[in-house]
Amino acid sequence: MNRHTDTPAGTELLDLPMPEPRTCPFGPAPVYDRLRAEAPVTRVACPTGLTAWLVSRYADVRDVLGDAERFSSRPGQVVHLMAHADPERPIGEGEFTRMDGPEYQRFRRHMGPEISSPRRLAKLRPLVRAVVDERIGALAAAGPPADLYQDFAIPVTTASIGGLVGVPYADRDLFHTAASGVFSDVTDQVQLAAAVRPLQGYLFELVRRRRVEPEDDALSRMVARAPSAEPPFSDVELVAMSAVMLVAGFDSTATALAHGVLALLNDPGQWARLRDDPSLVPGTVEEMVRLFGGGAGIVREATVDTEIGGRPVAKGDYVILAIQSANHDPEAFPDPGRLDVARDTEGHLGFGHGTHQCFGQQTARLELTVALEALVRRVPSLRLAAPLADVPFKTGTSVVGPERVPVTWDEILPAEGEGP
Amino acid sequence: MRVRADTALCVSTGSCALTAPEVFDLGEDDGVVVVLVESPPDEQRETVGRAVRACPAGVLSLAP
Repeated sequence: MNRHTDTPAGTELLDLPMPEPRTCPFGPAPVYDRLRAEAPVTRVACPTGLTAWLVSRYADVRDVLGDAERFSSRPGQVVHLMAHADPERPIGEGEFTRMDGPEYQRFRRHMGPEISSPRRLAKLRPLVRAVVDERIGALAAAGPPADLYQDFAIPVTTASIGGLVGVPYADRDLFHTAASGVFSDVTDQVQLAAAVRPLQGYLFELVRRRRVEPEDDALSRMVARAPSAEPPFSDVELVAMSAVMLVAGFDSTATALAHGVLALLNDPGQWARLRDDPSLVPGTVEEMVRLFGGGAGIVREATVDTEIGGRPVAKGDYVILAIQSANHDPEAFPDPGRLDVARDTEGHLGFGHGTHQCFGQQTARLELTVALEALVRRVPSLRLAAPLADVPFKTGTSVVGPERVPVTWDEILPAEGEGP
Repeated sequence: MRVRADTALCVSTGSCALTAPEVFDLGEDDGVVVVLVESPPDEQRETVGRAVRACPAGVLSLAP
């Protein structure tokens, strides 16, 4: 590991800045303002022991993410935070998030028709709407107050991704448990394997069943198309893809929704603008992803001797892209810390950039848009039930955001097509 | 205005097809971008431009 721990003369080794939700609930750690200005490419020590270059300016982050030839994803996306992650471990069968080039594209293109095509997303919209309306109905039945994260956002995204892939809601514990292992920063490799194994076993069985009796779901279609891929997909690879879709597909979106609604309700003028003009919802979703997306940062490895922002970087060096800092770079977005539901967010990096840009981004956009549209329409009096200072934030996970969002309301209006 | 697509680079994000559905689509079986209209009319210039810039993998470009 020596080649990764050498620190060039004259470069101070900082501890990797961690989110500080108490002081900055909606932005990156405050030290990033200074880093962008004075040390935009700087050496840091990570909690896992990894030493890396931390890149904090928009232009540099975008350049590195956009150049998969110079900067490989092989170490793993969040290897700087996870105790169980080992950047030098061989890539497992189907572990596509660490692949590059055509090998990686083969997976993206197999999933793409299920999660990214306009036709498929149009078919998913009614499913998501039904889930959202049902959950708002449940809030109405239970009455205020509620926790918008656990009582709304998590069930909505869980039922949506489960319905998409083809896993019944009753079986959700399997991927919830796997996700808490995958995204916890303290799980070791043994605990991780134990958290993920039941889901893998379940999905192996589901792949076999859907091959014999296909249903109208993504897994059935991915299984049916598997033999015509080049080379054909193995069952291990099909399990890996569906597991990643499930595991990565609920908490990141739920947390973005809870975090975004928290920010909107904390700024009642912005909530009112949205309520008065719901056509602003899709833009607001982009603004939410710009503000909070990629809060943990992601890792690349230099494949050649190169430079970032004029700073020499050696082949084999690890690089951390501080995505949230990039999206809060005033050079890219004026008054970047301000939530603005009408902001032009084009070019934001909240879903990443380059070939590894979030593969679930279109389903996340769909879920966030449908959920937010329904909340502003059916629960216009929604407001925080506790001061922002009392809202707890999650610790020990790479999915950064609130742990609870206590909300209350006066009235919940019926769903479209429902009687009063 | 002509649209060029270097399909070898496509990673199937669907961003182009969702931004400019009249000009781009995503292949149902192979997940690769399909250019539906190679020379879109000038009034679609802005939308097509946004779709081209939305591609994270540099697949798309515009020629005059």
